[in-house]
Amino acid sequence: MASKTKAAAAGGETLTYNQGTFRNSALVRQQTLAAYLFLLPALIFFVLFVVVPMVMCLVTSFLDYRMGKPLTFVGFAQYIKMFQDPVFLKALQNTFILVIVAVPAVTAFSLWVGSVVYKMSSFKRSFYRCVFYLPVVTGTVAVAVVWKWMFNKYTGLINYVLNATGIIHENISWLGDARFALGCITLILFTTSIGQPIVLYIAALGNVDPSLIDAAEVDGASNLQVFWHIKWPQIMPTTLYILVITTINTFQCYALIQLLTSGGPNHATDTIMYYIYYQAFKLNDYGYGNAMGVVLAIIIAILSAIQFKFAGSSD
Amino acid sequence: MKKQLSMLLAAGMAVSLLAGCGGTPSGTGSDSTATADTGASTAATGDATAITLWTYPIGSFGDSATVDSLIAKFNETHPEISVTVEYLDYTNGDDQVTAAIEAGTTPDIIMEGPERLVSNWGAKGKMLPLNDLWTDEAVADISATSENVVSACQWTDGNYYEYPLCMTTHTMAINKEMFEAAGALQYINEDGTWTTENFEKALQALKDSGVTTTAIVYCGGQGGDQGTRALVNNLYSGQFTNADHTAYTADSDANKKALQQLVDWANEGLITYDAAAQASDELQLFANGNVAMTLCWNASNQANYAESVTFTAMPVAFPSDDGVPELCGGIWGFGLFDNGDDAKAAASKEFIKFLCDDAQQGPESVRLTGFFPVRSSFGDVYAGTEDEARMAQFASFMQYLGDYYNVAPGWAEQRTAWWNMLQQIFSGVSVDDATATYQQSCTDAINGAA
Repeated sequence: MASKTKAAAAGGETLTYNQGTFRNSALVRQQTLAAYLFLLPALIFFVLFVVVPMVMCLVTSFLDYRMGKPLTFVGFAQYIKMFQDPVFLKALQNTFILVIVAVPAVTAFSLWVGSVVYKMSSFKRSFYRCVFYLPVVTGTVAVAVVWKWMFNKYTGLINYVLNATGIIHENISWLGDARFALGCITLILFTTSIGQPIVLYIAALGNVDPSLIDAAEVDGASNLQVFWHIKWPQIMPTTLYILVITTINTFQCYALIQLLTSGGPNHATDTIMYYIYYQAFKLNDYGYGNAMGVVLAIIIAILSAIQFKFAGSSD
Repeated sequence: MKKQLSMLLAAGMAVSLLAGCGGTPSGTGSDSTATADTGASTAATGDATAITLWTYPIGSFGDSATVDSLIAKFNETHPEISVTVEYLDYTNGDDQVTAAIEAGTTPDIIMEGPERLVSNWGAKGKMLPLNDLWTDEAVADISATSENVVSACQWTDGNYYEYPLCMTTHTMAINKEMFEAAGALQYINEDGTWTTENFEKALQALKDSGVTTTAIVYCGGQGGDQGTRALVNNLYSGQFTNADHTAYTADSDANKKALQQLVDWANEGLITYDAAAQASDELQLFANGNVAMTLCWNASNQANYAESVTFTAMPVAFPSDDGVPELCGGIWGFGLFDNGDDAKAAASKEFIKFLCDDAQQGPESVRLTGFFPVRSSFGDVYAGTEDEARMAQFASFMQYLGDYYNVAPGWAEQRTAWWNMLQQIFSGVSVDDATATYQQSCTDAINGAA
């Protein structure tokens, strides 16, 4: 009797355990289903507006896809044409110059400003965050209009100041002279790119464990040593994020070019993104534009991977 | 694992860039959209045909209040048709139309010129033929004004893809007081024409009198490029295309001589070139009194800048070696996109006929554009209005209307190649090399369009 009870009890326990497992897995299924249902609207948007266009872009890059022409499969012809197109190569070169100059400059300047500002009082910190973030929220068109006026050959502020101080004696068409135009674009891009990195660095530096800094200082570490061995490793994820985002944004520099130079003078400020726009929307050659988009995406993916690799190995 | 995830994230971010390249945008930018829906009066009938009109800012056709009142008048006789309007601008309008064509969301009616309606979208099979609107009476009436208008609205397949409303000539304008002060006004004939030789003398006089910027050859983009084209073509009587509009002729001796002349004048400080300026920039500088003349003037600009200029903006023809200019023309009218809906097409044609052919509304529509009628039967539509004297100045230039070459194939590509060529020439590339590059771009474009 006792053994029966035990067995029954044992059986009951087993039953109870199995029921629990069943209930748990049912709950998990329910929760998973609910999660997917919550995700569904975003997923639909993602598929429709990101995945489908991406696939279409890739597919049409192998097609002769122009307005009013029948679609024709051309294989890699547009990729070959691209690397024989002097304007594309010039745009590629200009884009790399922008990235090579702007990304390190933005990162270093943001780190410097962040290092100074994060130690300030709450009020001052907020003030400087607002000041540096202002160009980000101002909007590219407004920023471009102001810079266009400043660089204006006839009535611009920069020529006025340089003439008044005797540095130049003849007005310069800053955006119309191939020697200066890309430099001017780089400068504008720099000013519009630093806002977000500065805010991120201020936050990241504020999160560095102060006890580690105190301990290092007690041990006699210099400011440089404290920065390099304590702060730098802790803000590395932020730096990595800034590097990747700034690189991608710089590669996609389009609006400033469209608003200020249209790629001129003599293609001196053409960028890949602007050239993609020009081919697709001005000449209605969508296939060629998409092929360039694919190449640009590959370049950015490779560079981002390299950045992750280097940042990862320095951890 | 973390590293792999990071790599995946980076790749994902980069590849998401592709999303911007593929497909076609379905939106057409609603910022400038205004709706003049007159459906209230049609709802009662329960049988309304809704049509859409997209219009570029051609005179008051860019003003929603004006267009709303036109639609209200139209609905007095056609309550069964409701018209919705979207206003485009010349900065983004072409992109919006391109996006709409690819997305299949084009409007029923669009208002612009033959270079877009005929030789671009019409040639690409996107427009409906309007042959039935071009009755014998219409052809005769419009031909009496200019045969060029009729031929410009007809594509090589024999179909008319535009029904025109108005036209004008593009001129230059000078700051009269500045010219007077420099003693340069003497070089311009009473009728507003001048020779290339006298143009150079005027430039020299202006420079000698201390005017720092006499004229700007702007080449920062395609906006207002008819000004630089007209200047180059007129200086030594060159032509922009051949007679049948099948080839561009920038490399003709006359055009190359003119281009070299511009470079020489720039080197002598007689004119300025600016690769950062477009026509709008040059116009603003002219209106501000910073430059002695503009290459981009017409009746509409004269009206638009009337209140902001503090000097007399005097329209003049482009200088030519023989003193007889050939001015670029502008033609504006309506075209229909082929949306596969016969009822909407029929309703759209009714609206176009009302705007262009109606005995009362036609002249009023022309006045709203600020230009001149293509129908000779309309006569002087500005007679007795406050604009009569101003428009008479420009009417006198209509006799110099040149060939309407804007319908040549590869026009869109040519426009970019043109200002790029000017940039090259003024930055030290020889005229021969720059024109050869331009010609090659145009040839490629013509072959691509074939």
